[in-house]
Amino acid sequence: MTTTLSLEAEVAGLIVEALHLEITPGEIDPEAPLFGEGLGLDSIDALEIALAVSKRYGFQLRSDDERNHRIFRSLRALAAHIETNRTG
Amino acid sequence: MMRAEPALPLTSRAPSEAIFHRGHDAVTVQRFLAEVAALAAILPDDGPVLNFCADRYLALLGFAAALSRGQTTLLSADRTPQRLADIAALHGARYALADTDIALPLPVLRPHAAAGRDAPNPPIATGMIAAIAFTSGSTGESQPHPKPWGALVAGARAAAARFAIAPGASIVGTVPAQHMYGFETTLMLPLQGAGAGHAGPVFYPSDIAEALAGLPAPRLLVTTPLQMRALLGTGIALPPLAGVISATAPLAAALAAEAEAAWGAPLHEIYGATEAGSVASRRALGDEGWEPYAGVAFDIGPAGATVAVPGLPAPVPLADELEWLGPGRFRLLGRRGDMVKLAGKRASLSGLTSLLTAIAGVQDGVFLAPEDLDRNPRARLAAVVVAPGLTAEAVVAALRERVEPAFLPRPVVMADALPRDGVGKLRRQDLLRLARSR
Repeated sequence: MTTTLSLEAEVAGLIVEALHLEITPGEIDPEAPLFGEGLGLDSIDALEIALAVSKRYGFQLRSDDERNHRIFRSLRALAAHIETNRTG
Repeated sequence: MMRAEPALPLTSRAPSEAIFHRGHDAVTVQRFLAEVAALAAILPDDGPVLNFCADRYLALLGFAAALSRGQTTLLSADRTPQRLADIAALHGARYALADTDIALPLPVLRPHAAAGRDAPNPPIATGMIAAIAFTSGSTGESQPHPKPWGALVAGARAAAARFAIAPGASIVGTVPAQHMYGFETTLMLPLQGAGAGHAGPVFYPSDIAEALAGLPAPRLLVTTPLQMRALLGTGIALPPLAGVISATAPLAAALAAEAEAAWGAPLHEIYGATEAGSVASRRALGDEGWEPYAGVAFDIGPAGATVAVPGLPAPVPLADELEWLGPGRFRLLGRRGDMVKLAGKRASLSGLTSLLTAIAGVQDGVFLAPEDLDRNPRARLAAVVVAPGLTAEAVVAALRERVEPAFLPRPVVMADALPRDGVGKLRRQDLLRLARSR
């Protein structure tokens, strides 16, 4: 069973790898927004993350708006969403 | 002035046809017109109106209601508050229509769909500027491209004919309704061509699959290479499709082949530009030649290409290099000059560079395009910046206020000086080496 903290580090690694970011996974502030300010990701990145998540964790991200905002609020929120929904 | 100005009705569709799907609800033309009339009755007296509704049906409703009141709609695919405010100020927007909460220095109304008693189908003068689309100009500011009603109608009808879209087709689009390609294929097509739109939201592969599965056949998917790549990458199953249309970026042959094999439907590409709208198409597989839309005339010369579009007052210069392949078919050779295209939006590198060097604390700087920009849907621009006292993060934060997210540089390399030669010209190879040095 994965603990949230190690999953968080794993997802940070996934983001850095999927988006070819020029930072180390440890440099992502787990509480900072992933989009806009903070990590500064955009919609192209959102698709890449969705693709990487579906491959690694076996479930699909969706855009029913409110929830999506919550999921991408931070690395921590995304990791928590993955922990709840993962099938792989 | 002519006495009887030519006009075309708001919609060409029959009253009982479905024009849109909202969730599981099919909206007939009759009901749509009644909702347009009800919304039009409560709109402020004067436009133009900045309409950036994300819900496609609300976007169409707002556009049609404004049109029926003689008001021009400003279409901004860029939802950056600063950009929206700039466009509103520059083009005298009197109010905005939005379905998200956003603070702007003008009244923001949230349209809702409620049917009135009457459902008129008002005539709209073909010369009326129904909408204004925007591109980023060479100096970075928004350039307006006015769209007469007649041009929008002609484009929608040409597309409906070109793709032989059935009146009862369901159209799922993944491109924002305020992007010219999205506006034409997901709002104007149902309004004046054929098929019924889908309100959305549709962005992730699972959204696309779910939206398609919830709609009656025949189904048409209107999307981009980027989203096709994500769809195929996740391996998600789609219901039977009648066709797929892609635009905004060149589609790699391998991706096109994979898509046709996976979905068993013909894949077509549209060629167009915000200035001209959609002007040509081709079958993506094994066909290099683009066929102009009905009524569209290309003029390809050594100085560049222009396109004459029905309903537009003058031929439009194109940012791409074109070459005739044979009568009525042309080939796309590449971008002209320093234009770059990312996420379906165009910008000029010099325009982006001038925005960069205008940042307080930036002494020198330049935007660079990677070699694989046209082939790699995930490619990003890079920037080399001389700004003692500023961090790369601070530079990006300042750029974010002026530049669309897709154009934000990644990486940003901070340097002591730019490699300039004796006459002050930048050496591209040295710059690329510098950009890759991290």
